Amino acid sequence: MADPPDPPQPPGEVARIGQQDETALVARAVNGDRGAFGTLVERYAATARRVARAVLGDPDDADDAAQDGMLSALLKLDQYDPRRPFGPWLLRIVANAATDRRRRRAVRRVEPLDPGFVAGGTRPDRTAERRALAQRLREALAELPERRRIAVVLFDVEGYSHAEIAQVLGIPEGTVRSEVFHARRRLRALLGDWKEDG
Amino acid sequence: MTQDSLPFDARPDPMIGAALRRALDAGEHDRFVARVLARAEQLRAVSWDAVLARWARLGVAAAVLVALTAGYVVGRGRPTAPERATVPDAVLAPSTSAPPVEVVFASLIGN
Repeated sequence: MADPPDPPQPPGEVARIGQQDETALVARAVNGDRGAFGTLVERYAATARRVARAVLGDPDDADDAAQDGMLSALLKLDQYDPRRPFGPWLLRIVANAATDRRRRRAVRRVEPLDPGFVAGGTRPDRTAERRALAQRLREALAELPERRRIAVVLFDVEGYSHAEIAQVLGIPEGTVRSEVFHARRRLRALLGDWKEDG
Repeated sequence: MTQDSLPFDARPDPMIGAALRRALDAGEHDRFVARVLARAEQLRAVSWDAVLARWARLGVAAAVLVALTAGYVVGRGRPTAPERATVPDAVLAPSTSAPPVEVVFASLIGN
């Protein structure tokens, strides 16, 4: 009987899941163990969705891309090299799925702004303020080159190292450092402005 | 937020991290996981159907081949029945034995 899936990992912890544990899970999943695949999906779903959303912006598109990526990984599990960490391998497939979807998307859909934040609206409460900040952050992310977006999300949100992000993006580690640096500079400026405005 | 923005800073920025996480989290984690696993089950079923269909096609092809081979072997091994001579064959076919001498002479004398 398959093991029940583990509870979701706290954000940033996925990168530190033991590789031995994951290698065993992948081996079981390759042999058709549905519980093992379920555990992997449970562990990486949140990260995969965030990475896909960093690429696509739209949450529905991002979920579709994250799902496509995870299912594509399921079909390719026998190609996974167990000597390397599983997370970067999976997230590379997810990021590629998101990029493919973005290229196919004919018309870019834009999330509507919260009605409380259009010019002339009433003063937002704290929850609404946070939502507005999130919206502005997403817009700021959307202005960054795609590679930069993925790099900063994987580094600052998911806790991956520069070397692991280099594997995900297929670029040199030094380039990852540079991408994270430039993304942070833009986002820090935005957060600083937001504080001053508040 | 850390003020250090050197490109070689290897530490995650907790404030940027938290803000981005809030901005990118879509919620409904369990629902998404259930959706992916359901789709994975569908894929497995489809792939099994494909495997079975492939084996079925191979099975049919093999059965046809075996039937044709068996038919050929059986047909080749059976002794064939002698053909019955038709009337023209009997009239026109040369005799297998030589005609008697008197008949030959009679025909020569007649000519």
